[in-house]
Amino acid sequence: MSWMRTPERPTVNDRRGPAVPDSNVPSGRLAPLPAALVWLGLFVFGSAFFGSALSGSASEPVPASEPIHASGAAQLRLETTEAWRGGLVLVGRDARLQLVISRLWGDDRAEDATGDVTFSVSPADVVAVDVRGVAAPLQAGEATLHVHDPLTGSELMLPMRVDGFDRSQPVNFPGQVVPVFTKLGCNGGGCHGKAAGQNGFRLSLMGFEPHEDFEHLVMESRGRRLFPAAPDQSLLLTKSIGTVPHGGGQRMEADSHEYRLLRRWIEQGMPYGSASDPVVVGLEVIPPLRTLPAGSRQQLQVVAHYSDGSLEDVTGTAQYESNDPEMAEVSVGGLVELRQLAGQVAIMTRFQGQVALFHAAIPAGPPAPPEVEPQTLVDEAVFAQLERLGIPLSKPTDDTAFLRRVSLDLMGRLPTTREYEAFIADAAGDKRQRWIDHCLEQPEYADYFGLKWSTILRNRRNNEAFQYGSFAFRQWIRDALWANLPYDDFVRQIVAASGSIETHPPVAWYRQVTDIHQQLEDTAQLFLGQRIQCARCHHHPFEKWGEDDYYGLAAYFSLVSRKPGGLAEEPVVFTRAGEPSAANPKTGRKLSPTPLGQPGQWEGDPIRDPRHQLVDWMADADNPFFAPSLVNRYWKHFFGRGLVDPEDDMRATNPASNPELLAALSESFIASGFDLKQLCRTICNSYTYQASSQAVEGNLEDQRNHARFYPKRLEAEVLLDALDAVTLSPSQFAGMPSGTRAVQLPDTGFENYFLTVFGRPDASTACECERASESNLAQSLHLLNSTQVQQKLADPAGRAALAAAGAPESDATQIQTLYRLALSREPDEEELQTALDYLGESRDRQAAYEDLVWAVINSKEFLFNH
Amino acid sequence: MLRFHGPARPFCDGLSRRDFLTVGALTFGSTQLSLADVLRREGQPSHKSVINIFLAGGPPHQDMWDLKTEAPSEIRGEFRPIRTNVPGIEICEVFPKLAKIMDKAVVIRSVVGCKDRHESHQCLSGWFPDDLRTVGGRPSLGSAVAKIQGPVDPAVPPYVGLADDTTHRPWSHPGAPGFLGAAYAPFRPDGTGLDNMRLQGISLDRLRDRRQLLGSIDRLNRQLDVTGQMEGMDAFGQRAFDVLTSSRLLDALDLSKEDPDVLARYGDGKPYQYQYDGAPTCNDHLLIARRLIEAGVRVVSLSYGRWDSHGANFDLVRDHGSKLDQCLAALVQDLDERGLLQSTTVAVWGEFGRTPKINPQAGRDHWPQVNSAVLFGGGMRTGQVIGATNRLGEYATERPVQMQEIIATLYHNLGIATDRVTLTDPTGRPQFLVDHGPMPEVI
Repeated sequence: MSWMRTPERPTVNDRRGPAVPDSNVPSGRLAPLPAALVWLGLFVFGSAFFGSALSGSASEPVPASEPIHASGAAQLRLETTEAWRGGLVLVGRDARLQLVISRLWGDDRAEDATGDVTFSVSPADVVAVDVRGVAAPLQAGEATLHVHDPLTGSELMLPMRVDGFDRSQPVNFPGQVVPVFTKLGCNGGGCHGKAAGQNGFRLSLMGFEPHEDFEHLVMESRGRRLFPAAPDQSLLLTKSIGTVPHGGGQRMEADSHEYRLLRRWIEQGMPYGSASDPVVVGLEVIPPLRTLPAGSRQQLQVVAHYSDGSLEDVTGTAQYESNDPEMAEVSVGGLVELRQLAGQVAIMTRFQGQVALFHAAIPAGPPAPPEVEPQTLVDEAVFAQLERLGIPLSKPTDDTAFLRRVSLDLMGRLPTTREYEAFIADAAGDKRQRWIDHCLEQPEYADYFGLKWSTILRNRRNNEAFQYGSFAFRQWIRDALWANLPYDDFVRQIVAASGSIETHPPVAWYRQVTDIHQQLEDTAQLFLGQRIQCARCHHHPFEKWGEDDYYGLAAYFSLVSRKPGGLAEEPVVFTRAGEPSAANPKTGRKLSPTPLGQPGQWEGDPIRDPRHQLVDWMADADNPFFAPSLVNRYWKHFFGRGLVDPEDDMRATNPASNPELLAALSESFIASGFDLKQLCRTICNSYTYQASSQAVEGNLEDQRNHARFYPKRLEAEVLLDALDAVTLSPSQFAGMPSGTRAVQLPDTGFENYFLTVFGRPDASTACECERASESNLAQSLHLLNSTQVQQKLADPAGRAALAAAGAPESDATQIQTLYRLALSREPDEEELQTALDYLGESRDRQAAYEDLVWAVINSKEFLFNH
Repeated sequence: MLRFHGPARPFCDGLSRRDFLTVGALTFGSTQLSLADVLRREGQPSHKSVINIFLAGGPPHQDMWDLKTEAPSEIRGEFRPIRTNVPGIEICEVFPKLAKIMDKAVVIRSVVGCKDRHESHQCLSGWFPDDLRTVGGRPSLGSAVAKIQGPVDPAVPPYVGLADDTTHRPWSHPGAPGFLGAAYAPFRPDGTGLDNMRLQGISLDRLRDRRQLLGSIDRLNRQLDVTGQMEGMDAFGQRAFDVLTSSRLLDALDLSKEDPDVLARYGDGKPYQYQYDGAPTCNDHLLIARRLIEAGVRVVSLSYGRWDSHGANFDLVRDHGSKLDQCLAALVQDLDERGLLQSTTVAVWGEFGRTPKINPQAGRDHWPQVNSAVLFGGGMRTGQVIGATNRLGEYATERPVQMQEIIATLYHNLGIATDRVTLTDPTGRPQFLVDHGPMPEVI
């Protein structure tokens, strides 16, 4: 008997169809019935539910089940998928249903009451509901569920029915058994899910290959793992409940739902199910979004949608993950517990390769619109979110802090004293805007952003023979940024690079990403914000990408070839003629170039380099990945954290902290013709960027919504350059002309302890995460007490020596200069006096100046951009 | 555990060595404690640790731990086996001292999966250097531990590599941080990092002046930052001043502070360079390793000698072997007396075994087919031999043990569950530490 479903009415299906057709269910496979017919089934429960259920619309949640009896200001509402709002049917003895009850106050506020209410069923022997609100059938029949809210006295009554309780229905392996393995962690990468399996037993990672799992479990070592004659003696069960030693320990209880399900599957002789059985095509989490107070709870219901239109409650089998455990945690049963932080948080639910998200907004207080005018589109989105969340906005930063902040962010260096003086003296209203424009026209802008790109484009010196190419590529990147080459063109020059490094320096990228896997993986991660590596061998656990997506993308690079060039390590890269394709090693299927997420016939131009056609698709205004990935990367540059974080892991299950902002920025970036400098302007001219880092009451804890500017430690190279500028003692780098700044170093082949200890990346991956920003003891020791720093302080031509050589009357000016240079501000009276006193008490003026400079460079105000 | 009341101390174990000895001496009479008892209690660390002794070049398994008395003479070699304090376990005659403590050892005679390359990476991480190369490579055990468990004491690095650079770099590399990045590289006591722990060109008084000055200048409200970056920097700054005034790490590296009797037990501690391109045999390194463990280091890696015996194999084993016998036996005994052997695993192994057939230069060549390894302590079930090779020592006949199983056992002994703990690589993929689990025979 094939596995069938009963989609003719809204049911809570336990994934079984009838083995023996009864009078209500025609045999054979059923097409989903029209919605009107679906509702016929509800007549048995009474028209009160029927009427209200039909009034629901898909776009807005409607209280479909009106309370029969309500008292006080609050009402109760059942939260569930549209089709079930009128009444609930549990089909089969394994059906489970998570009841989610909301308490609605008169002012439209809804809160979760599932944990507060009491459930009772009459007659009590049809359905049992436990304290968590999970309903389970006891026998066939009809019943009424009574929900009572002790807090408000409100009540709610709902009809329920149990069908097919005694029917023996075949368990479906991929649909029912595999999810149990996933939920219990059996097929995780640390256990049987790893490539080699565990202790001889192998499952596919996260159950993405149920056929393989079936084979390993049922066909392999037959008689060992499963005993249909005595199911309870099966190793699968005895190991899982711990009666036989199991390396992974006890995974379930002997009387659990999961145990009974697996047991019955074995009892039935381990059916697989049929190829035509419905598969999960969608997942719905209910409620999808809520505004909730900090510290509150929300029970979720998760409903799987099948290809035949039927539904199943999978709350107990789905997996849950919070995208920010500091804000919210979630239990295995889908109970979300919020902590004390305000902001937005998402809970990812997964089931059978499908994902759905629950979003919670946690306001800090009542809605409070910022009282300033938005400057750019950035502010509009940020302010709207702050208003929603009731988080107050910090004051604008003062001119001096702005000058230091934006100079460090756009040019990677401190403003000089001359720049400082000119900026402070400028009285014009648009001076910040003009300074931003000025920074973008300086060579230091190209040096600094060139460093950023050079690192993630893996521009490193593997050996000395790489030097010419790595220098040339860095120069090319710098020139492209300075000339403000449109970003799509910039990407094209790299991804579709051909020729020699000499004629086209971006060919150097292909020298580092030598195989096709690296080429497509780096392209996806760098330019599309997609980490697709997982899909090389198995379906991505949190994403829709599978092997076909991976190899479809790989096909674009399948004709890339190289031959030796004129010099060692300088290959010539070219596209050979041929049919671009890449084979999925698992299925053997040859895939034509396929844009991510757009499977279909390859309709490319046969004589145009497939890589150019890839960039054509990437740079299309409708591409959903290209612009968001870049603006997110740049956002991280300026604000220390991507709107999506990590910045190159953009997926539905890792939502942006402000999706409207990401969309608006992307749109404007596309509209500007991928103008990188314009993007910098849009960001830097915003109030959000120019907000003070000083917290105002109520926004100190904010880390995601940009209610204030978040300080960030200077990057290794910027810090060393700043140190050199303040001490007037430039660092020397082997083989580079004197005066070369650390930010300008063409590749990573320059040994320097300072840079290493402060987290300079090695440029060996496409991830910005290589750059370490954590503090450690070695850094503190180096700044406080290293020969390198001490030599800079004591440099005979350095700041301290210069200042000490001046007359004592000039000390105040010297201290002022030190403050202007290092901190871009004037010392206040107390600071000035402290410094003057220190100089006055000292017998050795130079030593005293060294100490002063030392103290300034060790202050957090110097070490951070704030 | 003994408890003494006194002023609060910033050390994890609550008391410094000096306090303990002072107090301990006063209480000898009434509690009948021997010096060894006092040492044992004092040393009891709050952390588990590993000393990974790499015998670079590939030590001959059949001339050390797996003697083949029944093989023909062109294979058997010059050595005779001797009995050990565990009936049934025999090892080479060059190890008389180790023979007396084999009850504390696990001898593995069937190590397989070795790569025929002179590289320490496999013995330090369980992986080949090419694994995950495109994202920076696999981290070595010490780097992974540094990432997962962090330092015991913020002023003492969790991972120290004592191996000196050798002409052939991978031969005795102290361990790569791989994709975890430079922050998790082993601390090397010869570099700038160590120099920075000693005052560089200024006096302690001047440092105090500076610190005071900094206190009045550094006024940026650290409340600005809730990510913990500023607070972290302050905390490390604080720690750095502590280190500069007194450093447990520097003390640990300073053998002049060691008891002369203990020092003598380890034998001649000077480094002896056997061939130009390999690590020296340096008995002091084993003693330093013990001192580092006591100071709070979690993993110490070191490279002992140059075992690539293509010629004069037996002379080499006599030379290196007798030195190793002395210092390794001393280390194990020392750890035991201090109560550290339960919490410390000592691993002694090389990158591969050597050819059964002796070559015309009286040497043995590379033989990655099988290898031996010896582990001590670590709370394992010791006093046993695992696995066996055939009569000629060519291949494993019983219980082949993957190198990763040994690494997994070390992780297990450190309290890290290899079936659960993952590290996230730069592409966002969670990576397990090793693909094999710990050896069930010993845990």
